[in-house]
Amino acid sequence: MFKKIWTIFIRDLKVNMREFMTLWIIIAPLLLAVGINFISPSINDTSVNLALVENENPEQVEYFDDFAHVELLSDKQKVEDRVRARDDVVGVLSKGSGYYIMTQGNEPESIVEYSKLLNVLYESGVKLEDARSEIIEFDRTVPPLKKMLVNILLLFTPVLTGMLTALNILEEKVDKTVSAINVTPTSRSAFILGKAITGMFIALFISIACLLITGFYNVNIGQAVLLIFSLTILSLIIGFIQGLNSNDVMEAAGSVKLLFLPLAGSIAGYELLSGNWRIFFYWSPFYWAYNANDMILSKSGTWPQVVLSVGIILAICGAVYAVLAPRIARKLQ
Amino acid sequence: MKLLSSFKKELILASRSFYFYVEVIFPLVILAILLFAVPKEINTTSTQYIYLDLPKEVKEIYIDTMLESATGIESEEVELEAEGKTYDVQLIATDEEKFYIVESEEAVRSLAYSEQNVGAVIELDENNQLYCRYYLQGYESTRLKNLLSIVFNEDMSVLEERIENQEVRPLTTDYEPLNNRENAIPPIIALSSCLMGMFIMASYVFLDKTEGVIKAYAVTASPVWQYLMSKIFVVLVTSVVSGLIIVMPIMGFKINYGLLLLLLLTTSFFASSLGLLIASFYDNLAKAFGAIYLLIILLMVPAIAYFIPGWDPFWIKIIPTYPLMQGFKEIILPKGDIAYSLITSAGFLAGGILIFAFTNFRFKKTLSI
Repeated sequence: MFKKIWTIFIRDLKVNMREFMTLWIIIAPLLLAVGINFISPSINDTSVNLALVENENPEQVEYFDDFAHVELLSDKQKVEDRVRARDDVVGVLSKGSGYYIMTQGNEPESIVEYSKLLNVLYESGVKLEDARSEIIEFDRTVPPLKKMLVNILLLFTPVLTGMLTALNILEEKVDKTVSAINVTPTSRSAFILGKAITGMFIALFISIACLLITGFYNVNIGQAVLLIFSLTILSLIIGFIQGLNSNDVMEAAGSVKLLFLPLAGSIAGYELLSGNWRIFFYWSPFYWAYNANDMILSKSGTWPQVVLSVGIILAICGAVYAVLAPRIARKLQ
Repeated sequence: MKLLSSFKKELILASRSFYFYVEVIFPLVILAILLFAVPKEINTTSTQYIYLDLPKEVKEIYIDTMLESATGIESEEVELEAEGKTYDVQLIATDEEKFYIVESEEAVRSLAYSEQNVGAVIELDENNQLYCRYYLQGYESTRLKNLLSIVFNEDMSVLEERIENQEVRPLTTDYEPLNNRENAIPPIIALSSCLMGMFIMASYVFLDKTEGVIKAYAVTASPVWQYLMSKIFVVLVTSVVSGLIIVMPIMGFKINYGLLLLLLLTTSFFASSLGLLIASFYDNLAKAFGAIYLLIILLMVPAIAYFIPGWDPFWIKIIPTYPLMQGFKEIILPKGDIAYSLITSAGFLAGGILIFAFTNFRFKKTLSI
C-alpha cells in the first residue's frame, strides 16, 4: 500500500512540478514573506507626520525630526494644502513668539495629542541630551504587527495548498479518473493519501521557508514543525471537502469565499475580543492554529500549550472527516 | 437586445448555482458579525507597569497627582500574574490608559516582559530629582524611545496644563468620525463585493471554457464582447446585492445610495475586467489561481494603511484599492467628500473600459485560450 501511495505522490509531484502553477503556488507566499519584511519596519516606525515651513526654524525641524516624520514646505499655504490632503499630517506653524497646531479636523485624537506634546516639549526647552531616564530592553526585535502578518500568512498557506488539492481533484473528476480508481489495484484510501501528500509536502515547505525568510529562525522549531504538520492535515481536509463536493470551478470558488469567513473571523476574534468572547471561536481550527502560531512566534508557548492547540486542531479535523467520510467515499465511487 | 437576452440567461443560470447563494449568505454572516460581535466603540488602552521606588510621602504625592490628573480616573486593588508569580497591584485607569502600581522592580520587569507592555521604575537621583528606568521590548522605534526618554523631564502636572493650553486650529470643525462598525464597511466591501468579483469572473470564464461555450461563440452572430459583458453584469448584480446587504442595515438612510451604487458598479466592473484579463492568459482556474491570489493579497495591503493612522507611504496610494476604500469611506462619512467619490468612480470606470477593451481583443484573437 505504501508503495502505491508513494507512486501516486511521486507521479503527482512530477506532474505538478512541470506546471508553472505549482511553482507559482510555492513562490507566491515566499514573495509575500519578503513583502512583510519590506513593509513592517516602516509600519513599526510609524509616528506623527508633521508639516513645517522650510527655513523658518531649522532648530525646531532638527528637534522634531528626533520624534516624528517631518515634511518641509515652502510657505504656510503649502503647509495648509498638505494638512488638507487625505493622509494624517499635522502642521506646526508660527504665531507671534510661539507655535500652533494646524489640523484638518478628522485626525485621530492620539495624533493631535502627540503633536501637542511634542510642541510643548520643544517650547519648554526639554532636550534629548538632558534626559533623566535610561532604557532597558528585552532584545525582542520582531514587532507585534510583523508577528501578526506572518501568522496570517502561515494560516493562508493551508487554504492555498488545500485549494490546489481541491482543484487537482476537480480536474481528476472532470477527466473521470476518480471513478477509474475503482478498477485499479489501488485502494481509495491509498489514492486519497497519495493525492494529499503533494499538497502537504508543499504546505510544509512553504511554511518553513516563510518562517526563515521573515526572520523567525530562532523559534522552537519542534513546536513549529508540529503545528505545521497539523496545518497540513487541515489543508488536506479543506482540499478534499472542496474538491469532492464541488462539481465545477464555480462551486469551488464559492467554497473559497465561504472559507474566508472562519479564517478571517478567527483572526479578528483572537485579536479584537477579550477572553470571554473568544469561546465562540473554539470550534474553528483556524482559531487554534492562530493561537498556537502566536505562542510559537512570540516564543512564549510551552510544549503542553502547543500540544493542546495542535491536539484540538487534529481533533476538529478528525471529527469533520469522520462526519464526511461516508460522503467522501460515495463521491469517490 | 442580444446583450440583454444574454444577461437574462446568465442571471437565470447563476441564480440556480451554489455560488449565487454564497453571495447572499456571505454578506449576511458578515452583517451578523458586525451587528452582534463588533462593538460600536472600542477603546484602545495603553498599559504601563510602574514601581515607585520613592520615599513614602513622595510616593503618596505622586499617586495623588496621577489620580487628580484627569476626570474619570478609577483606582482599585487587583492581582496580576506573570511568570508563575502573583502580584498585588494598584490599578489606576482612565478610558485610554491603565497604570499598574507594583511593589518591586522585579514585578515591573516580569510583567513588562510577559505582557509585552511598557514598564517603568521611578526613583530619585543624586540631585533628588525624579529619574526613570524604562523596561521596553526592544522593537519600539527610535522615535518612540526618544520621546519616552524626555517626557519625564517635565513635571507631569505642568506638562498636562501646557498641553491643555496648546492652541489647535482645525481647518474643519464639522467632522463626525465613524464608529467601529461603520469604519469596517469600506475594506469589507472592497474584499467581498469588488475583489472577489475578479476571482468569480475568472471562474465563470473557465467554467465556460471547459464546456466549450467560448468556442461556440465563434459560430454565433453575437460578438464576444457581449458574451463577456453579460458575465460582468451578473457579477455586478451580485456585488450590488452583497454590498447593500452589508451597508443598508448599518447605515440606514443617512448616506447617498446613488453614489454608493455608482462606486460599487464601477469598482466591480474594474475588478471583473481585471479577472477576465487574467483568465485570458490561462486555460484553467488552477493555473490562474496563483496570479489572482497574489493580486488580491497585494490589493488588500491598503487595508493595513486604512487601519493604521499615520502610515500612508506613497506606494500604498497608487494601489487601486486605496482610492476604492477611501471613496467608500467618503460616501458613508457624514459630510464626506462627494467629489472624491465621483472622481474615483470615473477613474475605475475608465480603467475598467481600457482593461475590458484589451481583454476583448485577447479573447477575439484567441477564442479558446
